[in-house]
Amino acid sequence: MNHHRAGRLLSAYVDSELTAAETRAVQAHLLDCAACRDAYENLRAARDLLAGLPPAEPEGEFWAAIRGPVMRRATAAASAGWAGRLRAQLWPAPRAQWASVARLPWPGIAGRRPGLVLAGVLIALALSALPLVRGTVDRLHATEIGVDLYVHDHAMQMGTAPLVDRAYVGLVAGDAELVLAGNTPRPVGDSVR
Amino acid sequence: MRFAAKAMTAAVVLLIAGAAIGAPFVPPAPPAPPAPAAAVTPAPRAILKMALDAPRLIDYEGTKIITALRNGRMETVTVAESHKRPNLLRLEYLSPEDVAGRVIVDDGTTARHYEPALNMLFEDHSIQDAGAAAGLTLLTRNYDIVLLGTDEVIGRQAYVLSLTPHGTGVQRQLWVDRLTGTVLRSEDRDASRGLVLTTYFSRISFSLNLPEAYFRFRPPAGTRVVSLQTVAGGTQNPAQLQQQVGFPVLVPPALPEGYTFRGGAVSRFGSLVSAYLRYSDGGNIISFFEAPAGSIGWPTIGVPVRVQAQPGRFIDLGYFRVLIWEQRGLRITAVGTAPSETLMLVAGQLIAGREQALVTDVSRRTEADPATVRRLRSEGLTFPEIAKTFAISHALGTSIDTTVRFVHGSLSVTDLATQLGMRPDALRAAVRRAVDTASMTPALPASAPSGQPAGLSTP
Repeated sequence: MNHHRAGRLLSAYVDSELTAAETRAVQAHLLDCAACRDAYENLRAARDLLAGLPPAEPEGEFWAAIRGPVMRRATAAASAGWAGRLRAQLWPAPRAQWASVARLPWPGIAGRRPGLVLAGVLIALALSALPLVRGTVDRLHATEIGVDLYVHDHAMQMGTAPLVDRAYVGLVAGDAELVLAGNTPRPVGDSVR
Repeated sequence: MRFAAKAMTAAVVLLIAGAAIGAPFVPPAPPAPPAPAAAVTPAPRAILKMALDAPRLIDYEGTKIITALRNGRMETVTVAESHKRPNLLRLEYLSPEDVAGRVIVDDGTTARHYEPALNMLFEDHSIQDAGAAAGLTLLTRNYDIVLLGTDEVIGRQAYVLSLTPHGTGVQRQLWVDRLTGTVLRSEDRDASRGLVLTTYFSRISFSLNLPEAYFRFRPPAGTRVVSLQTVAGGTQNPAQLQQQVGFPVLVPPALPEGYTFRGGAVSRFGSLVSAYLRYSDGGNIISFFEAPAGSIGWPTIGVPVRVQAQPGRFIDLGYFRVLIWEQRGLRITAVGTAPSETLMLVAGQLIAGREQALVTDVSRRTEADPATVRRLRSEGLTFPEIAKTFAISHALGTSIDTTVRFVHGSLSVTDLATQLGMRPDALRAAVRRAVDTASMTPALPASAPSGQPAGLSTP
């Protein structure tokens, strides 16, 4: 195992998350590499330090500050029926203001359940806009990945041609896969032609 | 109308001829001359077959050095490559630093690419050769295969083979191990830029009995697994693809000599759906990806170009070149190792949109039913291939479907000769006569002009 890879796996090694083979490989590397031994000791010390900390208990005012408003809203919602509960969830406004809105001369259901109607309209708008938003995001994404996607597909097909070097094809396809997964392209090598 | 079609055909022929004659051909720099071959050496075709069969017979493990042209610079990559017959492959990249630790494990069906820096595993189709027999048929048909002699690579004797395409594309030189058939070294040359890819083993060991477990990848805990099998398995012709994708799929009217339709598939990535057509001459591939223009944007890299007055973009990635253009509401992307001029000519012919005129012209010249010509087009054949198919079918008395399989390379000369009760040499001669005497729709020029793409003009 090389130094770079061992360094990447140290954290998982400290947390005992590696496979048996990887654990053995990291252990073998630690025997030879002083830098990785230091890094390992630091990680282990940090883990031990964190494990030794006592659990933090919140102060008494913390619960009082949260419990008060939550209980008030729950009580108001319970007294107003299901529509009131919905209103309380959507608009936790003072009841007087809400009542003035509800008294407006809305026809039929809109007058009786304005919160419900408004929520329905909002949901319908969101659903209708979803394909548009998704399409735009996909198009923006496609702008970024278009060439890499096609180079990836082409390289994969090149791999099935006879006498093409698989290691090179794997390199090209691998680079493209990283970009498709949202990573920045690998920089150009340092060997100038 | 008929006169107009003829005039357009003539114009394209002149354009192609002009591009072929006008652009200078720069021959690749000759490699160092290898030692002459020993007195008793196999034929070049036999050595090539040995190289194609080697992965099914030999295990090896070695360190490979790859030097490739990438975005205008030569990049050197070191990789530990292990192979267990018939189709287990493990690649562990060692340098440069930004690829160090990358592992690809391929079992002949699925390739798993692990990226340690991201703790991500990508699963994709295999990157290994699907069938040596079909590859050998097209390679021997479309390449001049010459044995240059023998040479020594890391202390092992190797045959040096040169594969030069009859059409355009990279010329390949292979150092094939005399004992095992393994390719120990390779060089790919581009007519305009010289060496674009070299590979060689700096160390190799054979017959190690590598354990199969070495070719199974067990990702570390917490690894994110991403399936990137963007191209659907199997193969479809353009007509079948069109039904699947729901937009018209355009088939190139002509391609460089030797390139034939090798399959189509749907490529999907998110909401981006593209029709993918693949053409090969046995050693190189040109891929065409077609998608609705609105579903994909222009890439930010490359240079803007005009293809027959249509906006396009040309991207030189090094070993691969990419040309993107728009026509009839489609965004078409061509990817390959073919010279930029060839990609431009292919794109220009597609844009010209003379499909109906060419169907009429080819059916008249070959005395074939236009409906049959259209059917062969929907199966991915170019017009020169269709003309060749009719000429061979008339000369040999073979059915159109059998002849198409022969033209595609799915049916070798030996197989067809056996079917017809002929000697292979006699069949080859008959095919050559039929093709030479047929009134052919011209293919693209064989030469590979150098420098900036001809006909490219920045808007």
